[in-house]
Amino acid sequence: MTRRAELRVGKLFLRNPHGLPRPPHPLPMDMARVAQWFHAASDITRLAMLEFLSQRERCVSELRDVLGVPQSTASFHLKVLRESGLVRQRREGRWKYYSLRGETLNYMIAFTRIVSPGAHVGTCPLSCCQ
Amino acid sequence: MISAVTPRPDAPRVARWFHALADEARVNIVEMLSHKERCVCELEQVLGIAQSRLSFHLKVLKDAGLIADRKEGRWMFYALERETLDQIAAYTKSVKPGKHAGSCAVACCD
Repeated sequence: MTRRAELRVGKLFLRNPHGLPRPPHPLPMDMARVAQWFHAASDITRLAMLEFLSQRERCVSELRDVLGVPQSTASFHLKVLRESGLVRQRREGRWKYYSLRGETLNYMIAFTRIVSPGAHVGTCPLSCCQ
Repeated sequence: MISAVTPRPDAPRVARWFHALADEARVNIVEMLSHKERCVCELEQVLGIAQSRLSFHLKVLKDAGLIADRKEGRWMFYALERETLDQIAAYTKSVKPGKHAGSCAVACCD
């Protein structure tokens, strides 16, 4: 077998389909999903939307006026928030209303708690956590 | 017309925290560091990321204040910053639906 072919086979066994090998004992959470939650909150306009929606549900025109952005920009940011599961959409007649999904925010808080240094101590049987 | 929301002064810092966790490779690094501090060689081996990419991800995490580094001999060791994780949790808690209600004198929060 050529060196190049060996490398190709080695890569197949080392990596998972998403391109990353798994850490020793991964969290019971899908890392891509975790990254998607945090990506949705990583923009200043979307942070302002989250804060505004934490008051109550809003329609897109309210968000557009309050944030001072064009409707297309507001719609784009709402799409990112909706796809990540941070915001849900409800239709009422002509209007669509957007509200926060508290359970996703709870998952984000849970992630920061799980990875907090020392959280594994005593609960992990592997020597890596001593 | 509703009055415009004034952006919070620390919004860029908050966005930087979330941006640091907005990549699957960086979430995996954080997960590995949650067990204990690690040297760059361990991260490279377990995550299978090239050293140059790993250095980039570690820099993003460090700039956001999520990790701290320590040099020991030839090697750099990285550890998670608990305070930043606590601040992220506190911020996320503060935007939970209904959190604002009752504490706000503005009519928008009826």
